[in-house]
Amino acid sequence: MNRNVLIIGIVIVAAIVFVLFAGLGKDPQHIDSPLIGRPAPPFTLRAVGTGQTVDLESLRGKPVIVNFWATWCGPCFEEHPTLVANARNLPNVQFVGIVFNDTDDKIMRFLAERGSAYPTLLDANGKTAIAYGVGGVPETFFINPAGKIVAKFEGPLSTELLQENLEKALR
Amino acid sequence: MIPALGRFIILASVLVATTGAFIAYAAGAKRSPEGLRWSQRFAYLFAALMIAATAVMEYALITHDFSVQYVEHVGSTEVPMWVTIVSLWSSLEGSILFWGFILGIYIAATTWVNRNDHQEYMPFAIGTWLSVGAFFSFLIAGPANPFLTVANPPLDGPGPNPLLQNHLLMIIHPPMLYLGYVGMTIPFGFAVAALLRGRLGQSFLRPLRASLLLPWVFLTIAIMLGGWWAYEVLGWGGYWAWDPVENASLLPWLTATAALHSAIVMERRGVLKGWTVTLVQASFLLTILGTFMTRSGVFNSVHSFTQSSIGPTILVFLAAVLLFSVALLAFRIDSLEAEGRLDSAVSREGMFLVNNLFFVVLTFTVLIGTCFPLVVEAIKGKQMSVGRPYFDAMVVPIGTALLFLLGVGPALPWGKASKKESQRALLPPLITGAIVLAIGYALGVRNGWTLLTLLFGGYAAHVTLAQMWLPLRQRLKKGDSFGPALVDTQLRRGRRRFGGYIVHAGAVIVFVAIAVSSTMRTQQEVTLNRGQSTTFAGYTVTFIGTEQRAEPHRQSTIARLTITKGGGGGTPSGGGGTPGSGGGTFVTTMEPRMNQYAAMREPIGTPAVYSTLAGDYYISIMNLQGDQAGVLIINMPMVGWIWFSVLMMGAGGLIALIPARRRTYVVVPESTAQIDSEVVA
Amino acid sequence: MIATLFLLALMQIKAPDAEQFVGPPQGTPLAGAQLERRAMEISSEIRCPVCQGLAIGDSPSQMAANMKEQVRELLARGYTENQILSYFEKSYGQFVLLKPKFQGVNAFVWILPVLALAAGFVLVITKAKKLEAAPAKIAAATDEAADDDPYLTRVREMVEKP
Repeated sequence: MNRNVLIIGIVIVAAIVFVLFAGLGKDPQHIDSPLIGRPAPPFTLRAVGTGQTVDLESLRGKPVIVNFWATWCGPCFEEHPTLVANARNLPNVQFVGIVFNDTDDKIMRFLAERGSAYPTLLDANGKTAIAYGVGGVPETFFINPAGKIVAKFEGPLSTELLQENLEKALR
Repeated sequence: MIPALGRFIILASVLVATTGAFIAYAAGAKRSPEGLRWSQRFAYLFAALMIAATAVMEYALITHDFSVQYVEHVGSTEVPMWVTIVSLWSSLEGSILFWGFILGIYIAATTWVNRNDHQEYMPFAIGTWLSVGAFFSFLIAGPANPFLTVANPPLDGPGPNPLLQNHLLMIIHPPMLYLGYVGMTIPFGFAVAALLRGRLGQSFLRPLRASLLLPWVFLTIAIMLGGWWAYEVLGWGGYWAWDPVENASLLPWLTATAALHSAIVMERRGVLKGWTVTLVQASFLLTILGTFMTRSGVFNSVHSFTQSSIGPTILVFLAAVLLFSVALLAFRIDSLEAEGRLDSAVSREGMFLVNNLFFVVLTFTVLIGTCFPLVVEAIKGKQMSVGRPYFDAMVVPIGTALLFLLGVGPALPWGKASKKESQRALLPPLITGAIVLAIGYALGVRNGWTLLTLLFGGYAAHVTLAQMWLPLRQRLKKGDSFGPALVDTQLRRGRRRFGGYIVHAGAVIVFVAIAVSSTMRTQQEVTLNRGQSTTFAGYTVTFIGTEQRAEPHRQSTIARLTITKGGGGGTPSGGGGTPGSGGGTFVTTMEPRMNQYAAMREPIGTPAVYSTLAGDYYISIMNLQGDQAGVLIINMPMVGWIWFSVLMMGAGGLIALIPARRRTYVVVPESTAQIDSEVVA
Repeated sequence: MIATLFLLALMQIKAPDAEQFVGPPQGTPLAGAQLERRAMEISSEIRCPVCQGLAIGDSPSQMAANMKEQVRELLARGYTENQILSYFEKSYGQFVLLKPKFQGVNAFVWILPVLALAAGFVLVITKAKKLEAAPAKIAAATDEAADDDPYLTRVREMVEKP
């Protein structure tokens, strides 16, 4: 028996299997956000339809939910009613939608068809999305009253998931 | 009906493979000829069942039997016939079935070819193959069953992934890849047999080498086709992104290439047996790792199969085979080792050792780079990426070193060389290297690595060509007539050698073409209005207009651009339509397109490529809005040479593979010795 | 009147800017061909978050186009490569860097292959020395002897019978 081969072999096997095993069940599309626990990048953007601007800093004092979405994205379609319903039920929480690389008329049509309850802002060249580290739509950030990002959620939100993340912002 | 039939066949194949594997191992352990015959029968039966299951699936696909779950997932009455046929491997479950199909054919064919030979090893080999077969049958029967019944079959399905429908290469690339991947099971079985027997005789080298070379040829071509497909479809003008799945196909290729080289030393000198066997085992294990990478959802890749639950099952199998291989090596490697010796380290044999070192380090680097993000996430819980800039930085020096060896290795004589001999062999090719370097410099190459590649490439080309025709020259010197000497030295007796050098020649061109095409590439993004032109890299591109084309499975928007050479560019010609409106001589019309598939929200582009010997002119659409087209124009010298020269490598492999004089069976041991010594000579 | 109002609104629009994250530019502003070249180089080192492992320079997606535009803008304003990379890192983490930093655990991805090469060299040299020193033996001798195995002869007889 060749002991060196055995020992080296077992070490290699253990390492490979451990690493691959650890990788199982992870979502390879998921990106951890380094922004959690940090101040939310400030922005002042124009709301679609009204033409008014919304300044994030002026919303301090209550929790803010920032939802990045797009009119062409299927899951956004899916979660839109949830967001609208929750925005109506939670007057003390400020909801903000941000759409990047889209046109006013398409967004307006989407909102007209599916309803709206909070301002939808246009991020003309995706700069805001980049600053927030958006890696796909929909993606939702929960900001506490002090202006810190406390949670990030990728994919379509359900009411339960929204509540759960909002808890963190209220703590 | 069909789903039940499919499930029945697969269950039968699990049974047949398991039983066959037991019988074969028992036959090997007991040295029972009767048992060997039975295990051969089980091998054939397994193949027959796999072929039958695949035929049933193809029948279901072609007849659009949506009561079969796999057909419901990937079938569609809207897609062309060829898409329906290749749907077999377009999604996870079907691809595993296809794997089993090819495995069955490989096992049966190899068993048949060696039905009267190597009886000492064959039972263990068949047992190993059937064990692997049992695992894949089990996958098909359980975790990745394509034959599940759909309770309420729909009238139509979504069709396969649009990216796969987008190019005809999808007909040929996956089968080639599977032929390469799955084929590595065969040499693995031989290696296991040699280890279990505790010896690896000269006469057994031949099936081992041949069974390694055949999948190597397929894998070589498959990797090239994959790169070509990416180049023709993905629209960024590259052919290799160091994506995990691309790396997965490269890893077994690297170890197999190393094994093919160390096998030569083993054959010549009787050394490196354990090492060669280890490399063969590694090649197989890396194909299983590759399957895991593609199908577990752990790695983020363009080529991954979506949603899959078979990751853990493959991982368990991988772990089991790894442990088995390590244990086998640990217990048996010493019984294979060193019967021979080296005369000198500074010899061709010595260079083979260095060659193996670089191939293994390259494999290790690619493996580490691919898996490192997983390692970091597992131990630190932090995300990071390892991408193209890393691989380029690490692989380029190793690749250049390999190119250097490609020249120096074959130049050195076998055995022991005097200093003078070495100098005489090593110095003259430098002239060719310098000439190629000078030509490159004159043509504008300034990148250091590319210049080095040209120098080593010229050197290696000189050595390769000289070695390729050396036996012929020697025969002519002896006074033989040209015709017979040519046939004999290159195609008959010296065929293996000749084939090997053709592979080397192809490799030299690949190295140079990759270096030149990646470092000399220029690109420009430009937005053109209808009728407007731009001049880039010597050509004037004029945007003529767009056209809509409707096909059953997709809607295409085609942008038409004319390419002219010479004449004033950059001025809007306004005429909008007549070829050559840019002012110079008309070269060609290019039609990059955007294809919108029903199942996909974002359109998929298909770039247009105008290829010449000097290079490719590549246009892909970035966006199309009314009369405006945003296009990416890329000029890439020499890129077409890559496809051509990889084909040449494959052809060389095939030449080397053509069996020697057919020997039906061996009655007297002496004749084996004779043939073996002839091959060595 | 409406146009002026609109313009006013537009002027107030302020997306987050690199300056808040990595401070004022530390390099010289680039323009023309040099800007394009540098933008392409840096774009090949940033991972496109919506794609599968591609660099933003290689991806046709809209997100990647936005990020490329951002890189170009920052270069034009005089930001250095390090500043640009760390700006993206601040929002996406090290995930976004296709070329791992030589830092902490990540350094091992650079070191290990070099170590492997060094260890391999030592191994190859020892192995070559050992093989050079080995006594000469006829490799095939043991082999052919084994082929005389009476068992094998019997196997051949059995298998070759129809």
